[in-house]
Amino acid sequence: MDFAAQIAMARYERIGEILGRCMERVEKPESFSDMIDKVVLDRYLGIPVFLTLMWAVFQFAFSVSAPFSDAVDVFFSACSDWAKNTITDPQLASLIGDGIFGGLGFVLVFLPPIAFVFMALAVLEDTGYLSRAAFVMDRAMTKVGLQGKSFIPMLLGFGCNVPAIMATRTIENEIDRKITIMVNPLMSCSARLPVYILFAGVFFEKYAGAVITSMYLLGILLAALMATLFRKLVFGGKPSPLLLEMPPYTVPTLRGVFTSAWVRTRVFLKKAATVLFIGAIAIWFLSTHPWQATEGGSVVENSYAAVIGHAVEPLIRPLGLDWTAGIALFAGFMAKEIVVGTLGIVYGVGEENVASAIVSHFTPASALAMMVITLIYLPCLATIGILRQELGGWKWTGFVVAYELVLAYMVAGIVFLGCKLVGVA
Amino acid sequence: MKLSEVEPGSVVVIADVHGNPEVRKKLLDMGLIKGAEVKVVRNAPLKDPMEIEVKGYNLSIRKVEAEKVLVVER
Amino acid sequence: MIRTALAGNPNVGKSVIFNALTGAKQKIGNWPGVTVEKKEGICNYKGTEIQVTDLPGIYSLTASSIDEKIARDYILDEKPDVVVDIVDASNIERNLYLTMQLMEMEANLVIALNKMDLAESKGYRIDVRKLSNEIGLPVVPMVAIRNEGVEELKQTVVHAANSPKKPAIRYSDEVEEAIGEMEKKVTKERILPEYPSRFVAIKLLEGDKTILEKAGKRTEV
Repeated sequence: MDFAAQIAMARYERIGEILGRCMERVEKPESFSDMIDKVVLDRYLGIPVFLTLMWAVFQFAFSVSAPFSDAVDVFFSACSDWAKNTITDPQLASLIGDGIFGGLGFVLVFLPPIAFVFMALAVLEDTGYLSRAAFVMDRAMTKVGLQGKSFIPMLLGFGCNVPAIMATRTIENEIDRKITIMVNPLMSCSARLPVYILFAGVFFEKYAGAVITSMYLLGILLAALMATLFRKLVFGGKPSPLLLEMPPYTVPTLRGVFTSAWVRTRVFLKKAATVLFIGAIAIWFLSTHPWQATEGGSVVENSYAAVIGHAVEPLIRPLGLDWTAGIALFAGFMAKEIVVGTLGIVYGVGEENVASAIVSHFTPASALAMMVITLIYLPCLATIGILRQELGGWKWTGFVVAYELVLAYMVAGIVFLGCKLVGVA
Repeated sequence: MKLSEVEPGSVVVIADVHGNPEVRKKLLDMGLIKGAEVKVVRNAPLKDPMEIEVKGYNLSIRKVEAEKVLVVER
Repeated sequence: MIRTALAGNPNVGKSVIFNALTGAKQKIGNWPGVTVEKKEGICNYKGTEIQVTDLPGIYSLTASSIDEKIARDYILDEKPDVVVDIVDASNIERNLYLTMQLMEMEANLVIALNKMDLAESKGYRIDVRKLSNEIGLPVVPMVAIRNEGVEELKQTVVHAANSPKKPAIRYSDEVEEAIGEMEKKVTKERILPEYPSRFVAIKLLEGDKTILEKAGKRTEV
């Protein structure tokens, strides 16, 4: 026997001696925990119980938190309107109203889902179910280069990638955690849905539902593919062993749950929020300047953002997209929910009539390309801020941005050319 | 016999632990040492990993790792 | 000011104890260069300030994972005045495994024996005073979730900082013989003299990669 095994045994031997002199063990009947696990981890019931709880977590994180986010939104919109109505200098009014209050609203709207996600996670962790969830899902997740504990962050990604990426803090293993973070933006968050609804509705009428669903599936497929690739190529291939303790169930305390949520939310405020706020101001500047040429931010075609839209046109033309799509995608970098609105502004028709306007700028094939790009191309600004916070710097964040851009371009190209090949214009 | 092959409900005794040095060290640290009693509690709904009881606590371990743990009947 | 570090396995209630000690006055950041969370805070016991650093939850100190490496380096290099080893009383056997290793490192230890209520319901009857005598270290029984034992822990930490204890831990003769021989070599060749020689000897025998590397830079073992 080698020394590693010898000393491990020696330590446990010593522990045995110590405990032998100061501890008595009384046989106890089956514990409460064991009884719960008989149901919760049952061969047949285990997965339904798991899915039900996951559904509840998702609803709690995003539906229950929504009114709070709406309130933040309403509050800052009101502040913004107030600023624009009171300040006489139009440029200053725009800076304070749209730039500063708009930027603050944009950042703070993330607080409710982050706080709710961490409350839910604290409850799962403190009760002891978190490691059971990993136990139930591990087999499925290892097939795609992840592990059991990656499931919850990936699921939350369908709501919003920002709290989802923060939720990877429950994954102890550094490499598993990094991979989970890096593929998380591929989970199609709720902000991307309006883009799918618009384009699928206009170009694929009857099949809109199928097209939208396939976008979600494409995201999952790509996440699985990239996770496997990253594990093999970037992190040396070996999955880390899962030796997960299954602690007895306990009742969480309110204080513990709130402390955990408060502490994490504060981290977001202190770290990511500054980056996001500066980013929001920068985007406000690019889309409203030069001030004269854009007539005070109302003619987007003349803004720096449009310059960028035009600059990327040669790149996206092979995908059947023009500069208007370029601007919309640039705006979507700030937040993917404003892609549709930006198209409305660019076509000068407003958000309600954007459906009729896109018919002349897109074809079914290029509409698909646009949806695929929206799914993959860039993590939104908020996600980039959180990536930097959680990946510990710009190096890995840059890597994520780069791979997503390349991947978006490749997949959109394949989809576009594939459509041409099968005769869809 | 490998630990991965033990039926839920059975109690066995560890005879030896193999595997690459790092994984082996981890298993040893978690109390999977020669002579330790292990009870296989259940398999996960998807058959892998398995839950075992060792040194008075419950541990989930993947089949790949459990294959490296040789056990004998008590 | 007293510098303490909280060490312990995952799931022992370490964050509950950290919160109970420091309240909301805590700084969360990352350990330098990695994405592992670092929590620090300050508490007070009768005018003495205690700085508390929460180490990552670990099962062992082999430095095979980043968490273990962080905890080990912190204890070895930053040399906190007191290391509070949080032990889950309801899972005492496996938890003491880390305690053994912390003792090998010759850290100035205080054992916080948490979850005494769960241990009781599991049928474990632990004689805390006997345990303390057997192991040669102060042991504070706690139910941190109900705030029981927190003041006693602070008091014990302050006391331990003023009168450090580093009891030796002895294993079976066979193992001790191997350690003794290696330790002689370690002392003679002055391998990593900044660390306890017995600890270095054990790690070299275990084939610990980081210690081998560190030692290898200066001498062939």
